[in-house]
Order: sequence, then C-alpha cells, then structure tokens
Amino acid sequence: MKQLSKYFWKSARVLLASSVWMTQVYAQEELIIDSLIQSNRAGFENTLQGNVAGLRIKSWSGTAGVQSTINLRGLSLDPTHDATQPLVLINGVPIIVNPSPVTGINPLSYFSPDQIERVEIIKSIDRLAAYGVQAPNGAINLIMKEGKTGPLHVRASASVGINFLSDIDYRKDAFYGFNTIARRVTYGQGAAIHEQNILVDGGGDFGSYLFGLNNHQDGGVVKSSSFGRQSLFLNAKYNISPRLTARFYNNLALASREGRYAGEYNRELLLPVIGDESFFMDKKRNVAFLSSIGLRYELASGLTVSTLAGLSYEGAGRDVYVPSNILKGSIFASSEALKRQLISINTSLNYQHEFSSDWKMDVKLGHELRTTDNRLTSVDGSRSLESGGSNYVKVVTGYNANQTEALSDHEIERIIGLYGVGKWSYKDDLQLNLALRTDGSSRYRQKWGFYPALGFVYKLANRLKIPVTVSASAGKSGMLNRPEVYRGELVGKGDYFSGNELGVGQLYAAFHDAKSVDVYQVDAGVLFGLTPSLTLALDYFHKTYSDFAYRRYLSNIHGLDYRYETGGKISLSGFEVTLNGKWVRTEQFSWSSNLNMAAFNNKMKELPADVAATSFSYLATLVKGDPVTSVIAYESGSAKVIGNSEPRLFGGFSNILQYKDFSAGFTLAFSSAADVIAASLASRYAIAAVGDQFPGKSSETPYYFLEGDERTAVYQGIRTIENGSFIRLSKVEVAYHLGDNLKKSLSISDLKLFLRGDNLVMLSRYSGINPEENLTGIRKADLSLTGTPLPASVVLGLKLVF
Amino acid sequence: MKRLKLWRFVPVIVLAFISCNDYLTVDPDNSTVTEGYYNASQRIEQAVIGTYVDLRRALVSNHAWLMYGEARAGDLAVAADFSSYVVSQKLTADNFELKALSDWGYFYDVIKSANDVLDIVEEADGETLTDYQHNLYKGEALALKSLAYFYLARIWGEIPSAERADFGQRLSGTAAVDKAAGFARESVALLPWLLLNDDGIESAALSAIRFNKTAATLLLAQIELWSGKGQEAYTALIQLYSDNADGKLSAFALSMGADRRTVIPQTPLNASVVSMPVTTLNSIYPQEDQRRSRLFSISQTQATLIVRDQTLLPLLKLDELDLLLAEAVWRSGRMDEARELLVKAADGAVEDYSELAGSDFEDALLLERQRILVGTGQRFFDLIRFGKVSQYVPALSADDVANGAGYWPLSPQSIRGNSWNQNSFWSR
Repeated sequence: MKQLSKYFWKSARVLLASSVWMTQVYAQEELIIDSLIQSNRAGFENTLQGNVAGLRIKSWSGTAGVQSTINLRGLSLDPTHDATQPLVLINGVPIIVNPSPVTGINPLSYFSPDQIERVEIIKSIDRLAAYGVQAPNGAINLIMKEGKTGPLHVRASASVGINFLSDIDYRKDAFYGFNTIARRVTYGQGAAIHEQNILVDGGGDFGSYLFGLNNHQDGGVVKSSSFGRQSLFLNAKYNISPRLTARFYNNLALASREGRYAGEYNRELLLPVIGDESFFMDKKRNVAFLSSIGLRYELASGLTVSTLAGLSYEGAGRDVYVPSNILKGSIFASSEALKRQLISINTSLNYQHEFSSDWKMDVKLGHELRTTDNRLTSVDGSRSLESGGSNYVKVVTGYNANQTEALSDHEIERIIGLYGVGKWSYKDDLQLNLALRTDGSSRYRQKWGFYPALGFVYKLANRLKIPVTVSASAGKSGMLNRPEVYRGELVGKGDYFSGNELGVGQLYAAFHDAKSVDVYQVDAGVLFGLTPSLTLALDYFHKTYSDFAYRRYLSNIHGLDYRYETGGKISLSGFEVTLNGKWVRTEQFSWSSNLNMAAFNNKMKELPADVAATSFSYLATLVKGDPVTSVIAYESGSAKVIGNSEPRLFGGFSNILQYKDFSAGFTLAFSSAADVIAASLASRYAIAAVGDQFPGKSSETPYYFLEGDERTAVYQGIRTIENGSFIRLSKVEVAYHLGDNLKKSLSISDLKLFLRGDNLVMLSRYSGINPEENLTGIRKADLSLTGTPLPASVVLGLKLVF
Repeated sequence: MKRLKLWRFVPVIVLAFISCNDYLTVDPDNSTVTEGYYNASQRIEQAVIGTYVDLRRALVSNHAWLMYGEARAGDLAVAADFSSYVVSQKLTADNFELKALSDWGYFYDVIKSANDVLDIVEEADGETLTDYQHNLYKGEALALKSLAYFYLARIWGEIPSAERADFGQRLSGTAAVDKAAGFARESVALLPWLLLNDDGIESAALSAIRFNKTAATLLLAQIELWSGKGQEAYTALIQLYSDNADGKLSAFALSMGADRRTVIPQTPLNASVVSMPVTTLNSIYPQEDQRRSRLFSISQTQATLIVRDQTLLPLLKLDELDLLLAEAVWRSGRMDEARELLVKAADGAVEDYSELAGSDFEDALLLERQRILVGTGQRFFDLIRFGKVSQYVPALSADDVANGAGYWPLSPQSIRGNSWNQNSFWSR
C-alpha cells in the first residue's frame, strides 16, 4: 500500500468523510422517525402510512396485531400474494416480513418505532438491482437508533389509552351484521392500549451502545382478541482497532395474540350458537429473534472489507380448543407450529477513489448468501364427550389415534448473489450509478439470473442555475417463482399386496426451464427546489413483469393432471408527487407540510395461451390492457370485469406545527376510486337448486361469483359495487414539551407530554364501516380475506429524556 | 495489528465457489423428486405397483368394473345411488359419479404409468435390474397397458392413442384392440409363469395379484376373440395346456388396499353392496344348477356372491380358460372340439351341451360365460361382442346400438379442449 501516493490518501480521507453525504444522496427517500407521528397500533407500517408517495398501507383489519398490507410499487399475477411485498431490512439485514399463516402476527410489530432512527425507502431500479431477486417490489431499510457520544443517556416513554368503535352501526359491519346480539357483546366498550419503552445509550472512542426494552399491549376492539408484545434489544458498535469495527444488533420479541371468536374466521359454523360466539381457547404465540453482526475492516484508506451476517427467526405456535357446545357434543383441539428462519451473510469489498477534485468513485464488490428454512408441524383431533362430561371441560387429555391428523412440512430455499455496485460523481452535479448482480437460486436447474441497472442524477442548479434535479434509471430485477419444480415430483399412490407394497408414480414432470420472473423497470424523476424550503418531486416509473410460473392442466389422456410452464406479462406504471414545505420557521413558530400522491396503473399485457386451462384461469376474462387487479364476476353465465380493487389515486397529507412549547400534527391518508364489492349474505344458491338461473329474486343484483366445490357449485350473489374512496385522519398528535428552565431544574434534557389519536375520523360514502376492510376488493360473505372494523384509539403519553 | 495477507483467502474463495452448485441443490424432506429416484430394483418395482394401483382406481372407484359390466347389463345390483341411472341406461344424467365413470382419464393414467415403467426399465443398467426383473417389469407394464387399451376400446370404441409415436391421434376400436393385442403378445413372451418373492422363491400369492404368463395369455386370448380371431386365440391359449405350464397356471386378481388419492371400496364384492335379486338368479341359473350354491349365498330375496378372499378382485380367472379355448376352436370351425370343451367348462350345469347344435353354440357359450364369469365385469362387453345388447337390454333398441349405445358417453372433461364428440346415440 505504501506505493500509493500521498495524494491518494488525502483524497481518500476526504471521501471517507463524505461517505455520510453519499449515503444520503443514494437513499432515495428517507424518513426520520422521531419527526413523524407514530401510530398507536403495533405494526410499524402504520406509522409509515400516508408518509411516502407510492407506499400503500391498507388498513384492512382492526384486529390487534394483524399486519396491514404493504405495497411499494408491487404487483404480481396474484395481486394479493405476499410476493408483492417489499423487501424489509433492518440495518441492511433482510428480515421475515410476512405474517405466518399459523398466528397471523405481524413481524413488523416486533419492535417499537422508538427504536428506529430513520427509514430508507428504495424504489428506483439502479438501487434495487443490487438486491437481485430479493427486491422486485421495492425495499425498506430500517436504520435503528445507535448510542450517542457521551456518558449514559436514558430515554423512557409510556402511554396509555383506549381503543373504541364509536357508534357502530351493525348493519354496516361485515362481521356481525348477521348477529346483533353477538355484536353488542363482542364490541363492548373498547379496550385498553398501553406501551412502555426504555432506551439506555452512550458512546465514546470505544464505540457506542444502546439497549432497552419495551412492552406493548392492545386489548383489541373485538372482545378477547388482545395482542401483546415485549422486546429486548441491543445495538452496539465496538471499535476493536482504529481500522476494525464490529457492530451487533439483537432484538428478541415475544408476541401473543388471542382470538376466541368464531366469527373471526368464517361464518361456516352453525351460528348464532351462543351469545358471544366465543371459542374456548385460541392462543397464538410467537417468539422472534433478529440478530446481526457486522465487521468492517479498513484495509487501506479508501479500501474496506465488510461482512454483515444476520439471522431472522420466528417461531409461531397456535393452540386451539373448541368446546362441545359449538361442536354439538364433540370437542376439537389442534396445535400448530411454524418455525421460520432467514439467514444472510453479505460480504463486500468497498473502494472509494478520487480521480480529481471533481470526479469521485465508490465501487463495491460483494457476495451474499441467503437461506430460508421453514418448518411446519401440526396435529389436530376431535373426540366425543364421554357420558357425564361437562360442556366446558378445559383440558384435553388426549386424542383418539384414529381421529388425529398430523402434518409436517419443510421448505428450504437458498440464494447466492454476487454483485458489483458503482457510483461515480462529478462535482455536486452528476452522479452515475451502476449495479450488476447475478443470483443463483436453489429453485431452478438453470440457477443463475443476471440483473443489471444503470442510472444517473443530474443537478442543474450549478451549471444552468435552475433549481432542478433530474434523474433516470433503467434495469432489471427478478422475483422468485415458487415452488421448486425442476426435478419433478413423485407421489405415493396407494397400498398393494396386503399393504406390503407401495405404488408410486409421477405427480408432475420435471420442468427444466423454470426460472425467476423478470422485472424490467424504468424510472424518471424531476425534483424542483421551488424555494429553499419548498420542494416538489415528480417521479414516473414503469415496470414489466414477465414469465410467471403456473400450472397447465392437461387433458385427461396425458396421465398427469398438470405440468409447469412460465409465461404471462403484466405491467405497472405510475406517477408519484411529493411536495415538502417548511412554510414558517422561526424560533417561536414553525409549520411544515408533506403532501404525497401516487397514481398507479397496472395492466395485463399477455396471458399464457389457453389461459382457462391453467392455474391463471381466474384471469381468463381479462383482455390486454385490463387491470390485473380487476374484480371478475358473472352475469347471465358470462364472466365480466365489474371493478378494480386498486385505487386510482392514493397518498397522504401531513402537517406539523410548533408554537413555543406546544406542537401539533396530523397525517391524513386518502385513497380514491377503488371499487369495493360486497358479497350478499342472503343471496347464495346451489346452482342445482335454482335451475341455473341467477338472480333468484327480482331485487338481487345480476352479478354473482361462482363458488362451492365440484359437487355443489353455488352462486354467491353480490349486494353492492361501491366506490371505496375515503379520507382518513390516520394519526393526530398534540404535545407539550417542558420549558427549558424547568428541564434544567429537573436535570432532564426533554420531557414531552402527548395526546395521540389513530383513525379518529373517516370521510367516505362507502356504506360499510371501513372501505379497506377487504384484501381482494371483495367483502366476502364468508368473511374470508375480510377484516374486522378498524377501531379509533386515543392515548395519553409521556416521553422523558435524561 | 499485523497486516492481513489477502492471498490466504484465495483457497477459501475457490472452495466457496466450487461448493456453489451443491449449496444450490436442496433435497426436499417432505417430497420426493423424480430425478435420480429409480436407482434400485425395489424402487422400480414401486413404479410397477403404482401402475396396478392406477388400474385398481380405474376399475374399482365407483364400482366401475361392474358399472361397465354386470350392473349395466342388469345382472348384478350395486347398492349405490347412481346405479339406477346405469341400469336404466341414462348414462348422461347430471350425476357426479356418472361423470366420473364416463371419464376415461383413469385408464390413461394406467397407460402413462406403464409407459413410465417401460422408460425406467429401459434406462436401468444391468446392475440395477437382473434379467428376470427386467423382463418381469417390462412384461407387467406391457400387459397393464394392453388391458387399459382393451378396456378403453370396449367401453368407448374409438379412442385417442397415448403412445409417444401417435399421441392424441384417433384410434378406431379395431386399431385400439390391435394395439392392445400387440402389447399383450409381447408381454406373454416376457412374463414368467410364476413370480419370485424377495427370497427368490416362486410365490403363488404374489403371482395371483400381478400379471404372469397365464394371465397375459388369457388377456391376449380375450383380445383376439374380441376381434374374432379364433385361430390366433387358440395358438396363444394352447401354450397353457403344454407341459411347461403344468402346475404353474395362475389367475390374476387386483389386490385391494387404500388408495391415497381417492376413496375406493376396499372390499368391492362385499355382500352388502353387490348382490343379485333371486328372480334374476333363477333366470340365469336354474334351481338344479350345481354351481349356484358354490357361487352364491342365497336368501329369500337376494343372492350374494361367495367371495373366498374379499381383498381380491378377480379379473382374469382360470375358470375362463376352457371357455376361451372352446370359443377359439368354435371360431376356427372345429365344432366337436368346441362342444367338448364347453361341456368341460360348464361342469355342474343342468344343460347337456354334448349334443349341442352348431347354431345354438353361440347362445350356450354366452350363457355359460355369464354364469361362470359373474363378478368379473365382462358381461356387457360379451353382449357387445356377440351383438346381443338390444336382446338383453330392453332399454336399448338395435338402432340405438347401431348408433353407439353400447358404448359409454364421454364426460365433459374428456371432450373439453379437443376435437372429440359424443357418438350419435349419446349426442341425441
């Protein structure tokens, strides 16, 4: 290294010092969490709601601990699939983000917003391509708070409040419209919410540390549906030597969710059976652990090698017991456990170089290993109550073996990624970004996919004296096609020769051409600095997804039911607008606003040939140009598009005001023109019974869904097709900060007393309670994919910083 | 701190890259991939057994073999909701089970599985399979495929081929049967008289539930006689009377057991399900027929089949051997010999066939086949073969039969997305 010139070392130090600046430039959008109004609900996504253009957080359910859907320019051929979720990282470590089907507990509730310093929203392809097949639908990187330089600091906060449904009209309620007695009992008078946090931190030449714990409890607006989470965390940095730094992050969370309601799941039980329809027991428990270790070694000035290893684990367990008064003399018990782990190791070599005072370069070459390993076991059984048994026997002593069903499943997926990311900047004017990544996946025989992207950001301010920055990028990322099918699969067919022999045969043939979905993306943006305190950002993007894996059902002379193929092409494009204004900024008074809006348009571009014979048959009605999110129903025996479940426009509007020691702020979330289709409770007919004629009554709509199984096909009538536009007061907060004199006399650096509300007002013409109370655009009569009413909540809290 | 020597990491990096492909190949715990599975004779045998299980599902689900046979002919009653449609020949009624019965998919599953076995056996090397196993598995696959085509041709007449060379092409009933005959002939040459068990000892029990030389010969004879080829059937059958076959003849029955994919009756000839009204019994077997009490338990109103082993469903019975030979020689024009064989086959009958006139032979043979083969599902096929459907099934006229009423309609699933149509009778 000695041969490198002094000039090099000098410039490298300058570059290192400017690395903070570089990070800020590359992060496309950044939110400082302490400057946002936090949500009273447990999931962190609720705090983000309404704050980022193009990030749609759909509050589909009011059940405590349930995740709102998170979509950041995401799409798939099944628009409700969790593949449309963005990649979520904590300090750069990928985490499990979709709730387990066993407990439905939201992994974004494992930590408190108080732990988070800032959030990077990554949308443009020149940054996403570096994640390859992991981030086809955007990425969100949460940067956790670190210890600050100085001796011990202590931050503590606590809040307490209630959750309520004000003046609920049962006729509007998807859930209990059918059982008013149950509704009155179940919704009760609201329940308590409370949260406590404590963070201790400090720092010095040795590094820094931050640790703490928090507790969040939400009694749940639906009786006996409480949610609770406790977590312990540590974020530490240790400077082992001037060149070697180690970072540790750990978060251990316990989360639990009670769900004792028959109606929480579906209406299929013979209801109303008892007044409040409660199950005897339905306990859901999660243990979640996130641990990461990062090492960074400076080989030479400007040349560093770093490794970041992360482990995201979640153990989810559910125990259910249904008493005999619901099951007419039998009891049912089941126990399920899903253990998921996501391990990632990311190693990179980073080189920063200054060619001249104008030209700088920052290049990173890296290698990433990622393994997911999910293991499910479940057992359930039922038994009849013995003579003299009580209806309320609490303990299930055992199952009859022949009434027990057991299941286990195990899924492993591995990815190896090799990447190179280059950034070249000229003065403060131009920045060029290049990302090249190749991902090898265990899912395919042809393992490797290639993901390149190129982009630039150009500031016109210096050269042309126009306060405008333009940016554009183009490239490709990928989305994994699941399940793994490239080696074919065998199935046990049956027993033969007194059970001594097992017959096996092919379930489906090997599909050697399996590959990832290709996602091509183009971005363009203009940022106007209208005044130093007013900026307007306009962004456009276009994404094309092609080659989804699907099953083609074969005619019955093939001897196989289906084979796998890839095909289909869809597109998603949109405009995003963000207006940030700091209208007033004096010592006494400040006022800032953020308005963000997005208008998205998704289209079907190409369907596999003879799509009706494939697992995409539900899209068969669509023609080129129709939205993929179309809702399809039947009228007079033919399928037609009757709506679009996605809004035409959505976004948020926030204002923060501060006057002397008082502050107030609110965030509105809005959505326009999503269609909401409500299935009818009353009109449901077995096709055989009504002689293939729908509607059955003259007052019914002519539209219906086809449901039921092969033997008993049924018409499910539609009650209404409505416009689901709304404006919701998502979050509001008023706060008082203790005056400087008092703080000094009490030896505290800050004290904040706040009153915070969630979902206090909603303006909508929608006839139900919550226009977002559906996952698919359909408020289902059987309650599947349909949420409970969204509660309002108010909490009073105190935040203390010593 | 000592300076790190980067070159020391080179071997680690090289090893890491070499192990990439291994790292990226995950052997699933809870499913079995096809690739590389068939590497031992036991595993190949599982594929062969899978083909029998497919055949069992095709014939036993919804009592299909009887619905295609004695139930449709009105001889045996099956206690199932949909059997009234079958007896009254309303085979296109809107009924789930009827649609399943008119779906030919399960038979094509047998053909696909058999073809898979042929491929697997072809690819297996000498170390994996002994010559005996190679010939046995190949012979079984061919016999099973032959039987599936034979059923298809008898149930639906014209059918599509599922062979690689002419996949999906129409086969006339005759062409389909010729195909079946070819496979059966090949299998006869390959199959042993008796199968060996795991200890290498000839096993009667194992031979009784899998194809063996006798069973394949019986099948071949049935196929040849369906095409009216008496001499060819005779040539095949006469092997079974040779010294080589002495004491080694074995019938073929399907072994029952649980099917993992669908629910099938595990005791298909159970007396509570399959029976014959006493009036029918009396019309087929005169009171003095000595075989009545050997074949049936008779109550006041109904007779039920006596089944020696409920876990077996006999398909190719040794009892048929003399009947087939009698027919073969009769069709070859050797009346005296045929009469003699019929007398031998019909031991216990009231009728004296020793003086049977040539013109009455056909009826007598048909009657004895009806009596002796009861429960094997062949009755309706015999009526088609002998041109007697309209005579024995009052619901179907001669014109109906000429329009295709003897065959089954095709399910919507079998017609969807291809150029097949219902025949003129079922598309009325």
